[in-house]
Amino acid sequence: MRRSSVHWERFLWVALTISLVLLVLPQANFIVLSFHADTGLGQVSDELTLENYVRLFIDPFYLHAFWLTVYLSALSAGSALLLGFPAAYALARIGGWIAPAILGLVLTTSLITIVVKLMGLNIILGPLGMLNNQAGVLIGLVQYTLPLIVVLLFGVVQTIPVALEEAAAILGATRRATFWRVLLPNARPGLVSSGLIAFNMCMGAFTSAVLLGGGRVRTVPVLIQQMIIQDTNYARGAALSTALVAFVFLLNLIVVAMISRSSRHAH
Amino acid sequence: MRISRSWNPMLVPKALLVLAVAFLLAPFIVVLGASFDPATEFHVAFPPRGISLGGYETIPWRYAVATGVSLLVGLSVAVLATLVGTAAAFGLVRGRVVGRETLQAFFRLPVQIPFVVTGAVFLQFYYQLAPLTGVNLLDGIGGLVIAHVFVAIPYSVGSVSAVLARFDPALEEAAEILGATRWGTFCQVTLPIIRPGVMAGAFYAFVVSFGDVPVALFLVAGRWTTLPVQIFQDMQFDFRPSMLAVSSLVAVVSLIAIFGVQKLAGFEVASAREGGKS
Repeated sequence: MRRSSVHWERFLWVALTISLVLLVLPQANFIVLSFHADTGLGQVSDELTLENYVRLFIDPFYLHAFWLTVYLSALSAGSALLLGFPAAYALARIGGWIAPAILGLVLTTSLITIVVKLMGLNIILGPLGMLNNQAGVLIGLVQYTLPLIVVLLFGVVQTIPVALEEAAAILGATRRATFWRVLLPNARPGLVSSGLIAFNMCMGAFTSAVLLGGGRVRTVPVLIQQMIIQDTNYARGAALSTALVAFVFLLNLIVVAMISRSSRHAH
Repeated sequence: MRISRSWNPMLVPKALLVLAVAFLLAPFIVVLGASFDPATEFHVAFPPRGISLGGYETIPWRYAVATGVSLLVGLSVAVLATLVGTAAAFGLVRGRVVGRETLQAFFRLPVQIPFVVTGAVFLQFYYQLAPLTGVNLLDGIGGLVIAHVFVAIPYSVGSVSAVLARFDPALEEAAEILGATRWGTFCQVTLPIIRPGVMAGAFYAFVVSFGDVPVALFLVAGRWTTLPVQIFQDMQFDFRPSMLAVSSLVAVVSLIAIFGVQKLAGFEVASAREGGKS
């Protein structure tokens, strides 16, 4: 066995070292920064303090920003699922050459830089009175996540055999019953995980929120940028960023725990 | 096999599919259409009231410069992220490694951090680094390239790992038995087989870098502004018809490039998403 003499893991150590340096050093520096008090003009105090985090929890301004971000993210992830699931279902069942062609087209729209898409949405939403408000941001977020949702759910539907639906129909199930009792339970894990991915993307969405919210829809990512670039309050911005990442991480843990618990009950 | 009723059960899903595709294409169609409108100042009209190339003729030079910067950054990021990501993938798939799944999860971390946060994190890091090393990474594109490489590595790790996992090691053994050197085997057997994965990873690395606003917004300024950041800033503060022309060009060129690259590199975007948003 000559092949075992190649130490492939050495390549991993090189890549891992680079990735660790890029992740740990900047993040650690940033998190330490969030525990200092801002003293104005981009300077911070020498001593450590929890003040930045305490402000996030007691100041209604930040609490509202967090609530708004969660609310818009959940609503747009839900809307993207409602539109994306039937679309992916139709695509998977059509099959043939046309399904991959449409899928490629859908995905391509998400590969072109988002500012072009947002410019088009600006033109469309302006006359409809949906610019510089939450409705506009919501539409923008659905645009942001829908391509990925369709691609992911296409894969999910493909794994559910048509025969299952046909069998249910032959056994006398109505279309509605087939949908609720056969299709949905089979697609559920895929729906939950794609919905979660869409939600996470929206929680960090910056460009859509700025360009369609016109600075008036202050989600957490928008605030982070304002705080660091306009207010040069680096410490508070760092605390807000750290809180956002921790919050999204915790939320994901909770959802995953809930799913594994409910699926254990089901069996 | 059809249990026929008065209407086709596929009608609603198909109608929603058409709606979804129309919804996703509408912004691009509107930008393309409006770019030919003869307006000259702060006015956007769709459908266009006439055909004019005025928007295209008045594209300011700074957009050409910004495009050059974006291409330079994107290509550097694609090369560097592919080198690191491919090395990681070989180690992860073939190496004797403990905690493989933990390591795989570690390599996916960068895409789970919001881009705004990544931008802010690297900005502060470069601020701290400058007085210590004397190198100001915010002056030029070096700092942006490093931050983008950080974000793009997961795409490369994911897509190379996927092809490597399906790779049949017997092919390499055969080559070596037939007398090929290890390097020869790698270049003539391994590399051609994993090429679609490597190219797909590089492609996504480029796409992420070329399209990014939130990270670049923190890390570039002045002469080194990237194209999306330039458009982003002009959209907020200085909207002109030429921006519609620039955006139309970006959309059309991107579209052609995406299809061209897929054909040349032999992969499909629709199936190459494996390393993406985990």
